[in-house]
Amino acid sequence: MRFFAALATLLFAAGFAGAAWAHAALISVEPPSGSMLAAAPKAVELRFSEAVTPGAIRLIDGAGRARDDVRISASGETISVAIPVDLPEGTAVVSYRVISQDGHPIAGSVIFSIGMPTATKLPAAVDGGVNALIWLARVGLYLGLFVGVGGVFFARWIAWSMIGMAVPRMAIAIGIPGAAASLGALGLDLLGLPLTALTTAAPWKVALGASAGPALLVAIAAMLLALMALRSAWYARALAIVALVGVGLSLAMTGHAATAPPEVLMRPAIFLHGLGVAIWIGALAPLVALVSRSTTAPLPIVNRFSRIAALAVGVLAVTGLALAIVQLEKPGALVETRYGMILASKLVLVTGLLALAALNRFRLTPALARDGTGTPALMRSILAECAIALAILAVVAGWRFTPPPRTIVPDTPLAIHIHSDKAMFQVLVSPGKPGINDVVLQLMNGEGSPLAARETTLTLSLPERGIEPMERKASLGPDGHWHVRKVELPFAGRWHARIDVLVSDFEQITLEDELDVTSR
Amino acid sequence: MKRACLILVAALAVSPAAAHVSLETKQATVGASYKAVFTVPHGCAGSPTVKIRVQIPEGVIAVKPMPKAGWNVDVVEGKYAVEYDYHGNKLSSGVKEVAWSGGKLPDKHYDEFVMHTVLTDKLKPNTILYFPVVQECETGVSRWIEIPTEGAGHSHEGKSEGKSPAPGVKLLPKS
Repeated sequence: MRFFAALATLLFAAGFAGAAWAHAALISVEPPSGSMLAAAPKAVELRFSEAVTPGAIRLIDGAGRARDDVRISASGETISVAIPVDLPEGTAVVSYRVISQDGHPIAGSVIFSIGMPTATKLPAAVDGGVNALIWLARVGLYLGLFVGVGGVFFARWIAWSMIGMAVPRMAIAIGIPGAAASLGALGLDLLGLPLTALTTAAPWKVALGASAGPALLVAIAAMLLALMALRSAWYARALAIVALVGVGLSLAMTGHAATAPPEVLMRPAIFLHGLGVAIWIGALAPLVALVSRSTTAPLPIVNRFSRIAALAVGVLAVTGLALAIVQLEKPGALVETRYGMILASKLVLVTGLLALAALNRFRLTPALARDGTGTPALMRSILAECAIALAILAVVAGWRFTPPPRTIVPDTPLAIHIHSDKAMFQVLVSPGKPGINDVVLQLMNGEGSPLAARETTLTLSLPERGIEPMERKASLGPDGHWHVRKVELPFAGRWHARIDVLVSDFEQITLEDELDVTSR
Repeated sequence: MKRACLILVAALAVSPAAAHVSLETKQATVGASYKAVFTVPHGCAGSPTVKIRVQIPEGVIAVKPMPKAGWNVDVVEGKYAVEYDYHGNKLSSGVKEVAWSGGKLPDKHYDEFVMHTVLTDKLKPNTILYFPVVQECETGVSRWIEIPTEGAGHSHEGKSEGKSPAPGVKLLPKS
């Protein structure tokens, strides 16, 4: 018993010892993506919002070759990709895949041209098979944790009966390989490898190093403990409760919900949410078996479960609400983002589940108690609950692919680089879509060092739509760049940007270029 | 003489309605003197002009501004990029900027600011020589300093016409 207490404490400590973790986002790239450079940069620096671990970082040079002589160094939130000196002229692509602290990969690419642009192709996109595996493995894992471990807990602590353990046993049998497959698929995803690479060691190693790795090991341990608790032994009840705690811990150790600030609240919220789900969902399958077996015997069990389930539902509602508020930030995100839409579908399903649960609690269970009737109705209702629960698990597994609105950063700005012998201007338009945009003008002289300007004016026109030049004065910001805020670009199209920079009383540098504004 | 007249007529015909500060004489021969007459047709968005500053481009020497009643004239001297031969003297420095100030030219009036110059034969014929001008007014400044760049950087299609071009004079080869 003491051993289990110690184990539980250890698991707890492991789960909560993390630093401030969140879903990382790329903040800046040096040289900026889309740059035209005279010579190859020494390094490409990627700066993220949080500390990240490099996964797969590749360089494809202007000749279209994938280079293997790239050195990568990471320190905190910055990843530096040392570029080989013999990079040929043309467009080079750095594609990166880094692991953010919630265990999810962040991928993207940076393009820069040396001398002149060429049509270098981006590396192929992620294997769709890997995403399917991630989703399937996750559904399997949830089955094992909630139906399996939750079912065993129900048998040991609520029903005091081992009737109907076939389904939980099967769920665990699915869940353990599901957790293992999750681990492998995570590794594939982090490294950007195809399914066939599962036979190699690399993805497994990387996955174990990410925060999701230990979480999956805890999940496997919890399921193994639950399997042991199925056997009759004096310590079976202890095993069942440690396994249940493991379910909560495993969920609280990783993922974007658990790593959201304030973590002190979010991790316990996820933990309790996980316990609530396991207690409620785990009970359904054994209940069906109990109710179908005899009419009167299950009555005290059903009553006991009803009371505990009410508590579990309360905990689920409170923690779920807290998590949703933190993740969504504003109610509009419920319909505007994919994350929100998954949550919305889940809420619809949960409402159905609650309706059935209420029906069972207030109509069918009293009927059973009164005159022993309604067993088939109760069974049908619980079966329907099972189906809805399964659907919820399938929907929720989709969250793995959608960053919560909290972590969504504005799109990378539209960038153009204009240069002449005298000067180089970097123009960043964010978000670079039709509507209100903020423009940042970074001015450099011909040698690439900052250009001191007295006045800077931005003039935008869209000849194809008959929009005459709109002139806006830029103001010098504390960052040393010139800013034009709230520029209205009413339409998508090929805008003409003209930048007039007054260098001295008599000298002005004017550069012009086209700016492709698309709705994206 | 007849040919010269024709050219003059043609030059007048193509010059736009003088909305900009510009040079009255649009053509000049290198290696000869040039009387630069800056015409100021209006103020800065209605405000009266109180100062005219002209930057002397490289290759233009022996600059002597013509005094103007009611205006002070100042010159800024500086080093030339190269030495110029002027009547047997080597000139390495001279006037780089001329400024008329202290006067007041209302927006509804027109005036001219004149200087004598020598266009050295170091200047390239068949190009346009620009004299950037800063027109300071009681409120606001107009900078007539835009110089079109030829084939600079990328080929930007649809290069927009400058809205405040620097006054220019077409250089003709020595005859």
